Amino acid sequence: MLKRFLESVGRYCLFLRMVFRKPEKWRIFWKQFVIETDKLIISSILIVGVISLFIGGVLVIQTASNMSNPMLDRMLVGYMVRETLVLEFCSTVVALILAGKMGSNIASEIGSMRISGQIDAMDMMGVNSAGFLVLPKVMSATLLSPLLMMFSFVLGLLGGWGVVELTEIIPASKYITGIKYAYNGFYVVYSGFKMALFCFLISSISAYNGYYAAGGSLGVGESSTKSIVITSILILLFDLIVTQLMLY
Amino acid sequence: MIKVEHLYKSFGDLHVLKDICLDFEPGKCNMIIGASGSGKTVLLKNLIGLMSPDSGEIWYGGQKLSEMDYDEKKALRQKIGVLFQGSALFDFETVLGNVMFPMNFFTDWSREQKIERAKFCLDRVNVKGADDRYPSELSGGMQKRVGIARAIALNPDFLFCDEPNSGLDPYTSNLIDKLIHGITEEYNITTVINTHDMNSMLEIGDHIEFLYNGSILWKGDRHSILGTDCSELRTFVGANVLARNII
Ligand SMILES: Nc1ncnc2c1ncn2[C@@H]1O[C@H](COP(=O)(O)OP(=O)(O)OP(=O)(O)O)[C@@H](O)[C@H]1O
Ligand SMILES: [Mg+2]
Repeated sequence: MLKRFLESVGRYCLFLRMVFRKPEKWRIFWKQFVIETDKLIISSILIVGVISLFIGGVLVIQTASNMSNPMLDRMLVGYMVRETLVLEFCSTVVALILAGKMGSNIASEIGSMRISGQIDAMDMMGVNSAGFLVLPKVMSATLLSPLLMMFSFVLGLLGGWGVVELTEIIPASKYITGIKYAYNGFYVVYSGFKMALFCFLISSISAYNGYYAAGGSLGVGESSTKSIVITSILILLFDLIVTQLMLY
Repeated sequence: MIKVEHLYKSFGDLHVLKDICLDFEPGKCNMIIGASGSGKTVLLKNLIGLMSPDSGEIWYGGQKLSEMDYDEKKALRQKIGVLFQGSALFDFETVLGNVMFPMNFFTDWSREQKIERAKFCLDRVNVKGADDRYPSELSGGMQKRVGIARAIALNPDFLFCDEPNSGLDPYTSNLIDKLIHGITEEYNITTVINTHDMNSMLEIGDHIEFLYNGSILWKGDRHSILGTDCSELRTFVGANVLARNII
């Protein structure tokens, strides 16, 4: 068990070394980068947006109903919603959603290329298949995912504001004051960094599992399931580690 | 020039290749024939380095495959064209894109030059008017022909074909055989073909190796194959009606 785990880690590191070899031609890399950005980042905007809007709204209602004590200023609702969103929801929870969406996409795409011999064909041409297929995905997911996190943050606040306007659960002006209160820019950096790290894990681990998929279409399914399970656990683990390191 | 010395390969208890020794010369269509499951594909994958043998050596020119480093292997592979048994075309590229794929990496040609070369290759394998279609929209035989076009796109020194004409009609199959034979002689390519197609063997088999249960039982060429006295080969060849009437 431990031996198998260490073997996988070693193989994963060797895989990363292959991925991060200098691309044969930068022009081809950038072309793939744009394609992957569309597939991984742009196509995630809708789902991230919808989820963030709703969670923002729900957070406002839950927080407001848990702070009915008249001694507490109602603007604290806005403040707490903002902190919850930026600290945990927009990076960790959104990353967990992306682990499903991005992870299964990457693992099954690369896995089916493996079992149909397309990766062999690439290797036989002398093309670094891991570099060509995986590097653009990893770079795009890692570098651009913090934008998704910011987007989620903004929409979450908007969702909260929408609920405030509709239900008047707290005065709208209090909500606005609250979300501006004691603003700490470092939290956004912290959250963006977490998101980049999580998306690096998602993209590289799913690609690794797909790249070494074996056993026909069943193997592809297995690699995609395995990726989601492993990355979800690692996201939570690294959430703990990074938070301890950066915030404490 | 490819040379194989005492090559062994097994998967667990299954000994697929046993003590294989081969010599493949340039300018000739070298064939590996044998029944389904006899180990042809495994042998080919060992030759091109997609699998590594348990023991034995493979020489390309004067160099051992097992002793090449990453860059040497990479340089060698640019001189190798491979047609896989399942074609292995890239799903994400069109027919034209597939043939242009190796050119994108290893040439500095302009787009027009690449398209021209790709069209030339597609023309030679008789694929016309399918440039912008994706592999999933092609018939199996067409995929195979596009696979050949991709394999010859960069004028390889070594050409490996795993069953180039399975799944093709007799006419196209013959066309492919002649094409492979033609470019082999024209560009002095070292060509290795896996096949169990009698027609191809008799048409273009300059050098034939008969693989039986993982060992080479017989070597010869298209002229000597029908007069062989190797009984396993006679059984194999005799399964073909026309050949049965001759031997
Ligand atoms: N990756 C592998 N793992 C285990 N066994 C394998 C593997 N690849 C091939 N084999 C076994 O090796 C033997 C030879 O297979 P191979 O694919 O070389 O046959 P072949 O001669 O190419 O047959 P065909 O004409 O049907 O393509 C088979 O018994 C097969 O089960
Ligand atoms: Mg085969």
